[in-house]
Amino acid sequence: MSFLRRRGRVEKAEPTETFPPLGSLVPRRHVRISGQVFRLKMRPSRGLPAFEVMLIDDSGSVIVVWTGRRAIGGIGLGRRLVVEGVPMEESRGLVFTNPAYELR
Amino acid sequence: MRIVIAGAGSVGTYMAEELAGLGHSVVLVDNDPAVAKRGESIKGATFLFGDACDVDVLASAGVAEADVVAAVTGDDEDNLVVSLLSKQEFGVPRVVARVNFPKNEWLFNETWGVDVSVSTPHLLTALVEEAVTVGSFVHLLNFERGKAGLSEVTLAPDSPAVERQIRDLGLPREATVVGIIRDGHVMAPNGDFVLRVHDEVLVLSDAGAESAVRAVLVGS
Repeated sequence: MSFLRRRGRVEKAEPTETFPPLGSLVPRRHVRISGQVFRLKMRPSRGLPAFEVMLIDDSGSVIVVWTGRRAIGGIGLGRRLVVEGVPMEESRGLVFTNPAYELR
Repeated sequence: MRIVIAGAGSVGTYMAEELAGLGHSVVLVDNDPAVAKRGESIKGATFLFGDACDVDVLASAGVAEADVVAAVTGDDEDNLVVSLLSKQEFGVPRVVARVNFPKNEWLFNETWGVDVSVSTPHLLTALVEEAVTVGSFVHLLNFERGKAGLSEVTLAPDSPAVERQIRDLGLPREATVVGIIRDGHVMAPNGDFVLRVHDEVLVLSDAGAESAVRAVLVGS
């Protein structure tokens, strides 16, 4: 398949990228994951805003926090995101802080 | 534990020596050639020459596996950058940062990846206040990103807590007496313990419960 794509013969095929299931993630290991926005939250953190999103897939969920902002254009409920960063273990689950993201 | 210390000035060097002496694995990072020589001579600690504000330097210092990162340079901006990178890029469970200028203290919170901030001027002020005042409520230290704190009251003769048992004081549930210092001796309190004038009472409590604790120990 890949050589066909390189030569441009398979025009409509999306580049397929596989992501680890969210339920299988390990804290403190750099990963690239994908999930669907299940919940949005704008939380003030000590007077400073933070935008918090819960991403889900079939296997589990993670929380992604971007500090210092109240919203991010294009991120809404149901949107598929690709997120790359290091998750931390917190009482509410695995949390990514200010990771790189892509809208899908 | 694995500990990475950013800043090999007098504070960082001292910490590295103490912690290495206690059997912890310590890496000390600094990019000042003048202090590098001093850093290299610390027994038990590894010295890494480089800028701790650089992600690659932090990675080679082993921050990805570190249990604690201490940002103790003499520069608050650097300490914040080290804290943020340690938390955000490496998920370090505990980040301790030094505040050099008390006016910057408000920045040292979870938004910048800081779990515990230590402000020397603030601490000195609190300790001086604690040493010279009787009957007032002195906040000594913060824990858990400021959600909990250690406070001290030296009981004045008119304190409502004098000659009462700890269990009868009516302290809020979010507060506990962790120690009493009487005549220079530390005493472990239980519910039956009767407080006396000039006892130094150390209380660990939620930040929100401090005013209630103050009312119980100092009165209004």
